[in-house]
Amino acid sequence: MSNPTATPTGPRLAAAAAALRHQREWFATLRGRTERGHPLALVNADVPQELLRAMDVPYVVNQWWSSIISAKRMSGRYLEALRERGLPDDVEQYSALPLAEALSPRGDDAPWGGLPLPSVVIADCTGDSMRRMFQLWESELGVPFLPLESAAAETVPVNWWELMRHDWETAIGSPRIDLLHRELRELVPRLEQLTGARFSPQRLTRIMALSNEQAEWNRRTRDLLASAPRCPVPVNDIIPAVMIPQWHRGTPWATAAAQSLYDEVASLVAEGRAVVRDERRRLMWIGRGLWFDMDFYRSFEQSHGAVFVWSMYLALAADAYARYGDDPLRTLAARFCAFRDQMYTPPWSVEWYVKEARAHRVDGVVHLISADSRSSWFTTHALREAGIPVTEIRADNADGRSLDPAALHDQVARWIGSLPDRG
Amino acid sequence: MASPEAQQAAEARQAAAALRAAHDDRWLHARRRAAQGRPVVGYVGFDTPVELITAAGALPVRLAGHAGRDTALARTYLDGAVDPQVVNVLAAILTPQGHDPVPDLVVITHDCDSSLQLFYTLRELRRIGAQTLPPVHFVDLLHLPGEATRQYNLGRIRRFAAQLGAWRGRAVSEAELAEAVADHNAARTARTRLRRRRAGALTGGEALRWYAAGTSMPAREYATVLTAALTGATTRPAGRPLFVCGSGHDTADVYDVLEGDGWLVVGDDHDWGDGGEQPLIGEPTLSALTDHYTRAVLPASALPLPRIAAAARDGVDSSGARYVLTYCRQYDDAHRWSHPARAAAAGVPAALLRDQPYPGVDLPGLDARLRTQEAQRTR
Ligand code: SF4
Ligand code: SF4
Repeated sequence: MSNPTATPTGPRLAAAAAALRHQREWFATLRGRTERGHPLALVNADVPQELLRAMDVPYVVNQWWSSIISAKRMSGRYLEALRERGLPDDVEQYSALPLAEALSPRGDDAPWGGLPLPSVVIADCTGDSMRRMFQLWESELGVPFLPLESAAAETVPVNWWELMRHDWETAIGSPRIDLLHRELRELVPRLEQLTGARFSPQRLTRIMALSNEQAEWNRRTRDLLASAPRCPVPVNDIIPAVMIPQWHRGTPWATAAAQSLYDEVASLVAEGRAVVRDERRRLMWIGRGLWFDMDFYRSFEQSHGAVFVWSMYLALAADAYARYGDDPLRTLAARFCAFRDQMYTPPWSVEWYVKEARAHRVDGVVHLISADSRSSWFTTHALREAGIPVTEIRADNADGRSLDPAALHDQVARWIGSLPDRG
Repeated sequence: MASPEAQQAAEARQAAAALRAAHDDRWLHARRRAAQGRPVVGYVGFDTPVELITAAGALPVRLAGHAGRDTALARTYLDGAVDPQVVNVLAAILTPQGHDPVPDLVVITHDCDSSLQLFYTLRELRRIGAQTLPPVHFVDLLHLPGEATRQYNLGRIRRFAAQLGAWRGRAVSEAELAEAVADHNAARTARTRLRRRRAGALTGGEALRWYAAGTSMPAREYATVLTAALTGATTRPAGRPLFVCGSGHDTADVYDVLEGDGWLVVGDDHDWGDGGEQPLIGEPTLSALTDHYTRAVLPASALPLPRIAAAARDGVDSSGARYVLTYCRQYDDAHRWSHPARAAAAGVPAALLRDQPYPGVDLPGLDARLRTQEAQRTR
């Protein structure tokens, strides 16, 4: 079989459609406010955004805006602005696109009308490039850049997903939490001065409560999908319904959206809905998404009765965000100071994948290893040690140039065919 | 009897030979110490608080790569987009070859992402029992200017001092720390002299060897030997003067290739070269060490853009360089973000070479880029 089969298209989730609609309306309002002179912050995904919400400073998440630029196929043109300045257009593009847009000439065809120039940018110093890249907002565009550290622990207890919600002090260790907690206290007056807004601890307490509630709904949804007899909804339909409310974490809308996603999935399960009537193989995808070929995920349903049942986005939303505590600022610091480690750093990442694979009763894992994947040997090793078959796909980048879709499809199809029968 | 001048020259030659020997066999001094029953600590990261290691009675040796090393196994484990230099260092830890002794302890700092990945890899290999490895300590020193970072680093330095004490079974005393700080300060002073003199006296390859010797010898001995060696060399070697920026060079391979092609590396900004210069540590206290390693010792990834640009301008001015090379090894791309600012500040033709192999350099690419720029300048 050399041609990926045509994929069945199921009905979209109502929760996903509602989230997409909300996102557009929210952005239009934000643009309007900014044009009338309101401040706007652009922040990396790992920055404690709840702080800005507690100050009523609207913010846009850098990586989300990058995804909009990519989806509107404007990346190439914007990256040109980096090339012209002698700056890299192929390093951390996903974080660099909003900068590239800001450095590009304004056009009428900007995605969603374009991102207004932010009043401040905030990023953690992850990796070697982030800090330099964000300094360019300051040197090239005059936008103040507020950096946060990205600390690393020497030792960690493995079972973070059990500890994080209440016992984050043990899971992460106090020094890293102290660091971000202190940085946030130093950040507040700087932000107040730059934006004219005021920080309210009471608001932050409410925001933390709402966002924890949101995380609990996501947890119920994830647990339901893990335990449902058959997978009731294609996993790529879940992604927008989870991710968009994540960008609005801490608002009543986002919490309600997470609840309505749960309700919708629960009723599908109750109806006995299944993506594949005769579900024979449950699969897990680890690694960057194949953005150029979303249909890939669904192309083994008819031929093999195989369905991808797990998404990192929902699983992270379920396990990685909830933090309960009396001091809202410290609790917020605990949400973010080890955030990346949960998904990228062994032992946390690898043991979490194993736990999720077991909970979802997967028959096998497709592990996409891109050039910048971290610790992939350990991930595959841990899964196989746990008795879970893994097929590795090597891809140098996510843009499809390095992957032949037909060959990839063949590889995965042959591997699914070789999986042992369920005992 | 030889004249005092002739005797001094002979001593200088001897000292230079000792530096070269310490570079060519990075474990020369480590073996001598091990033979006396004294431990050796292999470290990764230019911001490693070496005086604490010395104070604990051990010899700190900075782990370096080696061109001929078999890195296949290391590449299996550390397979992300990681600087091949670090993969090479992992190979030395996993499968020591020939003269590589196994360090009694490995210390890694957070000076860049690849060091962090190296630590995570070693930690996980130990956890799952895939390899037998020496104990590894990670010292998470960070470098933003705020008080939060300083407080965090103070905790890291205290913890590291306590770990070293526990490791050797006796706490590091004030007197030991004072002596170690004095020794390493002496080495720093000698190193600064080397930076000032090198452009007029040494090839870049030789200067790099002399610097590297300082990361494999006892600090006090290095200070004495380097000072003696510097009384010798006086004539400027021939070559087109080049200032090298970007990725670190832990061996002289690339410089030797450049200089074999008619270049003369008169200065550099990476931390195995001139960029490894540090001010002196004021007091022998953990608090002063914290100030030093938080604010005075900045890895490349923590340098603000204006400082990178100013360093290039000053480096070019003081070394008499007529060309600048920003050398980026494969996966060590961060330097590309600062190249435009550096090139603008340098005021001489500046080339960027990316995706360079370890250890190698694209000579035709360098020539072509610099020639284009010279042509543009003279138009
Ligand atoms: S850690 Fe993940 S979510 Fe956060 S910025 Fe990086 S890629 Fe995005
Ligand atoms: S959710 Fe995924 S794609 Fe989006 S920012 Fe986080 S890691 Fe990147």
